[in-house]
Amino acid sequence: MASVSKELLRIIAEALARVPVDPGDLPAIEAQLGAQLDGLAGLDELDLQSVEPVTVMLPPREAPHGR
Amino acid sequence: MAADELTLLSIAEAGERLRRRTLSPVELTRAYLARIRAEDAAAHCYITVLQEQALASAATAEREIGSGRYRGPLHGIPIALKDLVMTRGIRTTCGSRILKDWVPDADATVAARLADAGAILLGKLNMHEFAYGPTGVNPHYGTPVNPWGRDRMPGGSSSGSGAAVATGLCAGALGTDTGGSVRIPASLCGIVGLKPTYGRVSRAGVVPLAWSLDHIGPMTRTVTDTALLLQALAGHDPADPSTATLAVPDYRHASDADPRGLRIGVVREVFFERLHPEVRTAVEAAARALEGLGIRVEEIRLPRIHHAGPATFAIITAESMAYHEPYLKTRASEYGADVRARLLTGQFVLATQYLKAQRARQVLRAEVDGVLTTVDALLLPTTPIPAPRTDEREATVDGVCEDVRAWLTRCTRPINLTGHPALSVPCGLTSDGLPVGLQLVGRHFDEATLLRLARAYETVSPLRDRRPSLPA
Repeated sequence: MASVSKELLRIIAEALARVPVDPGDLPAIEAQLGAQLDGLAGLDELDLQSVEPVTVMLPPREAPHGR
Repeated sequence: MAADELTLLSIAEAGERLRRRTLSPVELTRAYLARIRAEDAAAHCYITVLQEQALASAATAEREIGSGRYRGPLHGIPIALKDLVMTRGIRTTCGSRILKDWVPDADATVAARLADAGAILLGKLNMHEFAYGPTGVNPHYGTPVNPWGRDRMPGGSSSGSGAAVATGLCAGALGTDTGGSVRIPASLCGIVGLKPTYGRVSRAGVVPLAWSLDHIGPMTRTVTDTALLLQALAGHDPADPSTATLAVPDYRHASDADPRGLRIGVVREVFFERLHPEVRTAVEAAARALEGLGIRVEEIRLPRIHHAGPATFAIITAESMAYHEPYLKTRASEYGADVRARLLTGQFVLATQYLKAQRARQVLRAEVDGVLTTVDALLLPTTPIPAPRTDEREATVDGVCEDVRAWLTRCTRPINLTGHPALSVPCGLTSDGLPVGLQLVGRHFDEATLLRLARAYETVSPLRDRRPSLPA
């Protein structure tokens, strides 16, 4: 499993995404992300440049739940 | 017939009695409401029970049927909806604290279609919070009890739907399926669950988890009942541009057709790796049973399907995070810990990873389409393991220890990525008495062939006529 430092995640959350993350959630996030990073890199094996990039599947209108 | 026995009739059986007026919608609805009153305090299947509204709807159905205005096989049938399907004037919580008081002012298209078909809405069903988890464990409303093993997970995210149908607390239910959330609880609770083709059933008015992976499907005790519900749900909806304009076939008629001569492909990659031994035994026995019905079973290859897991991860995390970001910025503490961490993971997925994943799904869809030119359906397990205990976080099979969420979704999420229809039908019990699900995957918009195969299999399934031991 690839590893991602909790400090890096905290910095990205604060500086780039700007969604605060409780430090108590970072271990679970680190584990979930780390378990998938090698697989995500492996998508390059699929020769994706030859695939049409048109992937839009229009969703229904968003449910207006009291925002 | 005793009231309790009425709640275990199939939709088709009850519907026939209603049509012939040997059973009244009010009598049937009262039987379900009595069972809910007796059991749901412990079963935790419902978040909202609509006693008065259900009885009023049943009385209307009784008058209509009595005056010759029979609407069809769902007329007077008590059903329930997963609590992310919008219902006008009825709170819709999504299994969350955040939306615990939200009362929509409109019905989702699927709710309206079932009402138009004459179905009686008993209430709104418990679920994994915001549909983001395959275990069904809910920290806000309790965890629905799996009637086959009361210390076992019901599966999720449509946990209340699976448990309520299996327990006889409704005749049928709707679930939603983004990574397996109809099929997993169907498998763990020993019922039938169908994820239709992407675009077959409208999602308008259903709170999304991940727009490009979400599907809505029926959960019932029999294959015929799934066909009857799908008939009412399927078809184009102008409010959901992703729905297809294709004609809707007669699913019940199709499910009764002779399956002899059909061909099924068994996919070993990913789906048969690291299976609980009793799941392997049950699924392989099901394949032999299908051969005995005159269906040709052969091995096929999907050599790139292992890419489906990470591709699905990128899409579901990014899309769900985008939807929930406003709440995560202001009300994060109101989420359950596991759902909050899963949602927040989405902000660390790169846009390039998301787009690669959307391209990868084109490749994988084409690969599945390719094998479905040589066979009519694929045969897979629904879940690699039977229902874990509700307190289990990890499970070990063949010496490999993984998070139970990863185990539960491994065989289902690839089919959300490709958008093919997939159905889970019970195919056996483990020595602990836990159900095993057989998953059949078909060509796009060919739910009819899945229903035909599953209906035939159901007649020889070892779970035929087996029910969990329910409280008296």
